[in-house]
Amino acid sequence: MSALYLYPVWLRLWHWLNALLFIVLMVTGASMHFAGMPWLLPFDTAVPIHNATGILLTISWVVFVLGNLFTTNGRHYRVRFRGLFKRLFAQMTYYGYGIFHNAPHPFHVTEEEKLNTLQQLSYIGVMYALMPLLIISGWSFLYSVYLPETLFGIGTLWIIAMAHLTLAYFLVLFLIVHMYIITTGETILTNLRAMFTGWHRETDH
Amino acid sequence: MATLGYRDAETGEIVNLAVDRELFGHSVHGDLACSKCHGGDYQGYPHPPELSAAELNCVACHEDHPENTDRLDFSLINEEYQASVHAMSDDPEAQGFNCHSCHDPHAFRASLLGREIPDIVAYDNQICMSCHDDLRDPLSLSHSWLPNPSKHWESVRCLDCHTPLSESGRPVSHQILSAEQSNVNCVNCHTQGQGLLARLYEYRSQQDIESRGFFAKAVFNDAYVVGMSRNSLIDLLALIIIGLTVLVLAGHGYGRYRAYRALREQQAAASEGDKQ
Repeated sequence: MSALYLYPVWLRLWHWLNALLFIVLMVTGASMHFAGMPWLLPFDTAVPIHNATGILLTISWVVFVLGNLFTTNGRHYRVRFRGLFKRLFAQMTYYGYGIFHNAPHPFHVTEEEKLNTLQQLSYIGVMYALMPLLIISGWSFLYSVYLPETLFGIGTLWIIAMAHLTLAYFLVLFLIVHMYIITTGETILTNLRAMFTGWHRETDH
Repeated sequence: MATLGYRDAETGEIVNLAVDRELFGHSVHGDLACSKCHGGDYQGYPHPPELSAAELNCVACHEDHPENTDRLDFSLINEEYQASVHAMSDDPEAQGFNCHSCHDPHAFRASLLGREIPDIVAYDNQICMSCHDDLRDPLSLSHSWLPNPSKHWESVRCLDCHTPLSESGRPVSHQILSAEQSNVNCVNCHTQGQGLLARLYEYRSQQDIESRGFFAKAVFNDAYVVGMSRNSLIDLLALIIIGLTVLVLAGHGYGRYRAYRALREQQAAASEGDKQ
């Protein structure tokens, strides 16, 4: 059995706070989007909660970026291009085929590399592309009076609304896949436990 | 002034000529001397009937003082008004309709910017309701198609639905539409509609910033319109993709469970074999 301390306290706190903000944003966002459905929050309650949580998420995202700039955690998001496609292919073959035949995991967590290539690419996509765009579109909603009335001949407000909506759906999709993928560690709970304790434990092969 | 009135010789009705000083003082004309407008043949009493409100020419006076009316293009207003239901209707009640029918020159205020939105809406709608008071009748069916009419009337100006969407960027058109021509399409406000929605949203957004301040607006704001960001195509596509993903993940999970069971059976068989 090997044990690696991969998730420092700040990162775990950030992760679970981010998860909480995400869920609040999803619930309040859906309450605003599908307002009138009886099982959702009242519209007038959802709006200030959504706005306040959005502001907190913005701060949380900045903390994440700064954390990666100033601690060693950032190296886990640096993609190694040599053998990228080979590693990606191996990872996808494992999820699509090997996993059903009890094949060994093609990637082993080390201190230098805690994320496999597929994880790396999806986290980079989510944290450095989708999230900033979501945050920018959210703030643009709040201060749209300062934006031009039209963009490319289309109402700016409409572009912002559709962008925010589409990004929100993408992030809901990410959350669902993310929650499933964490169960694909050595045992169903291996990865989840690591995110609570900070320690990644794995049987030696 | 407060008790100025007379009984009309023909109709026998009391005609009240009193002007509320407070309202007048706060109105757009509050700084003007009475004689600025009432300077004609008013020397004799009773005044000649052709000097009635209808004869006071707002447009001529406003065009003489463009510095006070730079936001307004009176020829455009006139054009819009001529196309409005108030000018085109053959209803006897619409006869003699003029600027003063809506804009009481002794009380009219051009803008209430900075005040709470419900105040502005109530002020604006009161102008319409002063004639269309039958709408207050709970048995009136004219707006029965509108979900939650009282909520709409508290939050939306009559004009928001009863004027066409204009590209001029001016706050409101004078082309008041008839009931048949007005906006009865919910999605114009409650989905991606670029015109009416943007008009309402931006107006409220600006109000929010002015009344709550720049930063407080980030949390508290009245600008959102229910369902504004709804787009049935994006919603449908997203829900299909999310639904399919959940199905695929459930299938994947089931496959893993089967593999796990197979492995356990293999191990059990192997240990059985060892024992034998």
